[in-house]
Formats: sequence, C-alpha cells, structure tokens
Amino acid sequence: MDTFETLRDIIAKKFEKPAEEITLESTFESLEIDSLDTFDIIFEAEEKFGIKVPNEEVAIKTVQDVVSLIDRLRTEQGK
Amino acid sequence: MATRRVAVTGIGILSPVGNDRETFFSSLMAGKSGIRRLETDFVDSLDAQLAAWIGDFDPLAHFPKSKAGAMDRVTQFAVVAGQQALADAGLDLASEDRERIGVYLGTGMGGAASIEEGYVRLYRDNASRLKPFTVLMAMNNAAGSQVALDFGLTGPSLTFCTACASSSVSIGEATRQIRHGYADVMLAGGAEALLTYGTIKAWEALRTLASEDPENPSASCKPFSANRTGLVLGEGAAMVVLEDMERALARGAKIYAEVIGYGSSSDSTHITQPSVDGQARAIRRALAEAGITPDQLDYINAHGTGTKLNDVTETAAIKQVCGTGIPVSSTKSMTGHLMGAAGAVEFVACMMAIDKQALPPTAHLVQPDPECDLDYIPNVGRENVKVETVMSNSFAFGGTSGVLIARKV
Repeated sequence: MDTFETLRDIIAKKFEKPAEEITLESTFESLEIDSLDTFDIIFEAEEKFGIKVPNEEVAIKTVQDVVSLIDRLRTEQGK
Repeated sequence: MATRRVAVTGIGILSPVGNDRETFFSSLMAGKSGIRRLETDFVDSLDAQLAAWIGDFDPLAHFPKSKAGAMDRVTQFAVVAGQQALADAGLDLASEDRERIGVYLGTGMGGAASIEEGYVRLYRDNASRLKPFTVLMAMNNAAGSQVALDFGLTGPSLTFCTACASSSVSIGEATRQIRHGYADVMLAGGAEALLTYGTIKAWEALRTLASEDPENPSASCKPFSANRTGLVLGEGAAMVVLEDMERALARGAKIYAEVIGYGSSSDSTHITQPSVDGQARAIRRALAEAGITPDQLDYINAHGTGTKLNDVTETAAIKQVCGTGIPVSSTKSMTGHLMGAAGAVEFVACMMAIDKQALPPTAHLVQPDPECDLDYIPNVGRENVKVETVMSNSFAFGGTSGVLIARKV
C-alpha cells in the first residue's frame, strides 16, 4: 500500500468515513476533522511508518499535505 | 437579592444496578446487588476480585467512534447521565438561554484509565510517546467540561474533587449558584470510572476493600454489619437538573423535590480517619440551612461504606445530631462505592424514595453490630411509607463532609 492508501485507511477507520470520500484534494475541514484530530492521525502515521513528525511540521490543510510530509520524512529519516 | 428556591427537575443515572432511574431504584428496593467478580485480565492479581461495575454500557451506542476514542470512560458516563437528566427535565436547550445554565461535576480520580494507559505504554511497553489525547482524557475536569461542551452550556462550570464527597458537594454548591442568582438551571452530579489495575491496587494497599464473601460474592459489602470487612469500588455517574423553583413551577415541570439544605465541613483531624464531630458539624449545618429539626427527617441515606471505622463513626454522628428515631440505609451495600459519583447516586436514591414513597434497604445486614444501633432498614425495603424530607450523607478521605437535605414539594 502506498502512503496515500495507508493514510486514507487510517482516516476512514478512525472517523468512520467511506474511503472513496477521502481524496488527496480533501481538506480536513471538509472531512470535519479538526486540528486536534489531525494530531491523532499524525500519531498513527508516525507509528505506521516509523517516522517522527517534528512539531513545526504539523500545520496541514489537506490529505495531500500529510502524504507529502510523510514521504519527505520517510526519505529524510531513512524509513 | 432575595434567595431563590431550588427544584430538582431531572435525573440521569448509570449505575452498577441499572442505567436509568427506574431500574436503579427497583434494584435497590429488591436488594439486588451490582457487586460481582470483575471480568478483566488483571483480576487474578487482586486480593478481592470484586467490583460494582457496569457491564452493559456501549460507548458506540452514544458517540461516534472517533469521539468515543477521545473520551475517557468517566467522561462518557458523565455525558450520557447528563443527557438523560436533561431529557427527563424536558428542557428544550435550543430555546433556552444557555448562558444561564451551568455544570458542576464531582469526580475522585477523573480519567484514571487514560493516565494509566499512558503509563503502561511508557513503562511496560517502552513506547517513547503517548496518544495525543492523553492529557485531555485524563485531566480531572475533562468530564464536566465535555458535558458543558456537548450541550452548549455556558454558565458556571466547575469540577469538584473532594474524594467520596465530590458529587454531594457539587450538588450543594450548584444549588447555591441558583439560590443566589448566578444561574437559573444547573446540571450537577458526579462521575467515576476508576476500575483500573493501578487504582484498585492503590485502594487495596489502604486495607479498606472488602474481602470476598465466599458464599455470595455479591453480598461482600455489608455496611453496619458486625462481619463487615470494607468497601467495594464501583463505577458510574449520576446527574440531576437543578432549577429555579419559580421557573420550574411556571413551565409545569415534574419536581422530584426541593433542595432545602446543604452542609459542608472539614474534619481537619486525619487524612483517612473520620471524625464524629466533623460529620456532625456538616449535618448540623445542613439542618440549619434547611430550617428544620432532625425529627422532621423521614430518611437518611448514609455514607455507609462498610468499613469498620466509617460505620461506627457515622452512627455516632447521626445519633449526636438526630437521635435514634430516623430510618437510615446504606445503598452502597448494592451499588458499591462510586467515590466521586457516590453522593450524586445516593442523592438520586433519595429523590426516588420521595417519588415512590419507599425506602431502600441496607442489604446483607444479618449480623448486627452492637456499636451500630440505628434502624438501618435491614435487607427489606419499605413500601408505602411517608417520605417527605430526606438527608444524604457523604464523608470523604481528606476530611470533607457534604450533606444534602431535600423535601417533597
């Protein structure tokens, strides 16, 4: 599974949303996921991908933002 | 400003003997105990494998999965009990001035399970980080805050943390908010969900927990009995809607009772050992505020934990102020000790006693203790009795006493 699919599954499961509703362009606002809840998503992504997301990186708006962040950190952190 | 009268117009309860007020009270009247073997993975490591727990509570029946996962069990209990109480009061929040409605909630251990889960991750599982919601789930004011948030109540909102007296104090203080005009309606009560391995072990170390009755585990808590061995920890929540009496009468609300007296005191003698004088002081203050004499009481719901020391001390305090003529019972013999929720649960028992004109018994009282010589309504509840004025006692570790008196309207 690629980064997006993994992330989509985390979001779908946690917030009980149909997976097809979650696209790269989806904003967390449109998914009715607030900033506190995005911390929870990032927490799970950290566990899943074995990365550590620094505090200053957590300002995100869309699913694409998180996918890009994860991919960049996986490369940087060699995971 | 002239003080106002305060009515009880709604009841919500989740308890080891029933998750609504009718089931709760009929269980008490039938002497049915919610104390039983705890079904958890750590139960074999406990000295007494007992608790008064709620088995039929499904968070997902009340909250979406993502929200349920971000709330400690204690918060889930509080919100559901609050919802019941508001519905019972028939308040349509959409048309209410919610700036005039507040929330006072008592809890002893707050989000005990969440803090413990965090420690398990760190210390046992060697994780290096905790779930993002840990603070928000564990903090002591989480439950009360969530109740205010979920119902959009923007009046005064406070959490009271005075151990076993937490929710008697919250109801008493909430009454004063209405009495003195700071709010028109208060959602008040308490919640507790402390049946975690660490918390139970900590209580075990205090040597206050009951030993298991080998013949009948559900009879292990035996308040006022010569063979009592201690208390049994319990979980749940109770919330009541308190309302300015004139307002309640004007809208034709069902009024369970009027809160007429509240007394609070501090023993200031010992962190655990109760004081007869401290308890008597709170009872006297409640009676003075109510403006009644002790002989006008029809029923006392005792703190009645089932520990050696509490039951003789409370008996002496009641005798010192009220004499020996008033029926007293400990419903903890059936509900267990809900700590921060105990006062509210027992206040609800008192409301239902007035509503049904019936007195719940002290269960499992077969061997009388010569030092406990009041009428404890042993084993069999009393139906069709006059119940107009009731008193509920709560006496806490730390020495705080909270006593509530209510009267039929």
